[in-house]
Parts: sequence; structure tokens; C-alpha cells
Amino acid sequence: MEQIARAAALLGAGICMGMGALGPGLGEGFVAGKACEGLARSPENASLITRTMLVGQAVSESTGIYSLVIALLLIFST
Amino acid sequence: MAQKKGSLLRYLFLFLVIEVVLIVLSSGLNKQLQVGYDDTGKFVFQNVEKEYDLQDKIQEEFQPDEYAKQNGISPKFYGSSALYDFFAKIFGKANAISAFNLIRMLIIVDLVLLLVAFLIKKQLFEKPSKPQIIFEMIYTTFEDFVKDTLGKEKLHFTPYIVTLFIFIWTCNMIGLVPIPGFMEPTRNLNVPLGLGIMAVAVVHYMSIKTKGLGKYLKDFTQPLPPMTPINIVGEFSKVISISFRLFGNILGGAIIVLVVSSLVKFIILPVGLNLFFGIFVGTIQAFVFTMLALTYIGVEIAE
Repeated sequence: MEQIARAAALLGAGICMGMGALGPGLGEGFVAGKACEGLARSPENASLITRTMLVGQAVSESTGIYSLVIALLLIFST
Repeated sequence: MAQKKGSLLRYLFLFLVIEVVLIVLSSGLNKQLQVGYDDTGKFVFQNVEKEYDLQDKIQEEFQPDEYAKQNGISPKFYGSSALYDFFAKIFGKANAISAFNLIRMLIIVDLVLLLVAFLIKKQLFEKPSKPQIIFEMIYTTFEDFVKDTLGKEKLHFTPYIVTLFIFIWTCNMIGLVPIPGFMEPTRNLNVPLGLGIMAVAVVHYMSIKTKGLGKYLKDFTQPLPPMTPINIVGEFSKVISISFRLFGNILGGAIIVLVVSSLVKFIILPVGLNLFFGIFVGTIQAFVFTMLALTYIGVEIAE
């Protein structure tokens, strides 16, 4: 029983990380693409666009980080 | 110039030769060369079969108390049981070693910052010296950010913002120093959580100060009175999201560096990994934490 619970926790960690990485990947790529378009349209605002892009990417990354924390909890505390 | 390039190449070549000689001398990757004196005082030069257990290594690095308990080495921690007892009395037996490591690293970071501050203070001239230019550039950059976000009359926030950035950046960089036991203090959840709580406390203090208590309380019932619980939960989720982002990025980077280094037996590849996860991600996350704290303040203060 102990080993089944351990195996289930490891499997759950893998699934959690995989599903959790989907959303941030899509979101960050989308943000970077839009920033490229903005840069092509108005190169004089480069620093403002880059800063906004970085903060937006970090915010959309947070769900991935939550899933990483949950995966680590599943691996190391069961 | 050509001379310099040649000497750099020579050093790289020397480094490669030393690495290859070490690998050949250890004859196989899962053996380790030992040169030195053994327990009886005899000089030894031998190959030792070494078992790398990844799970043990990760546990030793990230859960030192659990590791010490399982291997029964806790009372003799760092050669002195008095120190261990002192920390165990304050933080409890379950957290003594990690609390000791964390506080030691925080004190080292503070000392580094103080040292840099004093050294810079000696070199402040009318005609700026080289380090002065660097630090004035950092300060001016963040002053521009504050001016863009909060407006010209709120420039007194700049010292707080710059301090936040420099402290978190130094915390993320100190893990790169190759001394045993050095780790990023931000790897422990308590440090980012404390910084996040401090940022949100500053936000609420400034909100009360600029709006007045009545309008501050009334803003919680916007846009409709039934939304009040959601607004209160939103304030807590600010702390959670800002601190877990920093913690998760640094911890994840540290685990990936440890796992990959252990898989390639600590040969060359970890340098590139440390470049990415240590320097790049560390700088970006310090910047993002600072910018988000600034944005929270800006949202509350804006008229």
C-alpha cells in the first residue's frame, strides 16, 4: 500500500508539472510575439515594451511555478 | 590584443588538459581519486568506488534536518553541539540546521552589502569615479521607473525600491560562490514571504496615508458590497503570488542544476547551467519582484 501511494504521488507530480507547463508556455510565447510586433511598429519605445513584456511574462508564469511547488511537495513529502 | 587572445586560449587549453588528466587518473566516471592522508596518518593515493545517490544528495541539500535525523549526525553539526543546541532551543529540533544555514547566509549577504556601501562611500567625488558611475546608473534607472509609475512627487519611494532590488539580486548571486554550504537565501520560503509581506504592508500603509481611513475601507466594497470577501482574499493572494514566484524560480533552478550536475559527474556542463539559472533567472526575478511591488503601490496610490 505504501509503495502504491508513493508511485501514485510520483505519477501525479509528473502529470502536474506537464499540465502546469502548458499554460505558461503558450502565454509567454504569445506575449513575446506581441512584443515583437510592438517593437517593429515603434522601435523608439523599446525599453518600455521590454519592461512590460518581462513583467507580463512573470505574471503569466506564476501558475507554472505553483504547479512546480506542488510537484516538489508530492515528490519529497510523501 | 592578439597576445591577450592567445593567452586566454592557452589557459582554456590548460584547463581542458587538467580535466582530461583527472578523468583518466580516476579511471572511469563512477570512481573518485583520493589524494591525502587517511585516518592512520598514512599518505594515500587511491581510487575509491563512489556511489552517487541522487535522492540522498537532493535531501542533503534541500532538507538538511531530515537528512541529519536519518543518518544520526545531528548533535555533532559543524563540530560543535553547543551551536546546534542553541538553534534547536529557538527554532525547534526539526528546523535547527536549515535555520542555521539560512541565518548564516543572510548575515553574509548583509555584510557584503555593508562592505560595498562603505567602499563606495569612500570614492564619492564631484568628478565621478568608475564604481560611482555604475551605482548612479542603477539608481537613476529605478528612479525613472518610479517616475513613470508613481509620478514626479512620489520620488521618495526610490530608496526602498532600489534596496529591494539590490538585496534580492545579491541573495540570488551568492549561490554562485563555490564555497561548501553556500546557498541562495531566497531558496528558503521564509525570505521571499517576509519580503512580500513587507511590500504589501507598505502598499496598505501608503494607501491609508494618501486616501484616509474611511475611503480606504470603502474601497474594499467596490464595485458592489457583496464583493468584499473577494477583495480581502485578493490582498492575501498578492502576498502568495509575489513570494512563491521568487521562491519557485530559485528553488527549481537549484534543483535542476544539482540533478544535471550529478548526472554528468560535475564536468563542464554545470557552468552553462549556472549561467542561465543563476545569473539570468536570478536577475530577471529580482527585477520582476521589484517591478511588481512598484506596480502594487502605483495601483493603490493612483487617483
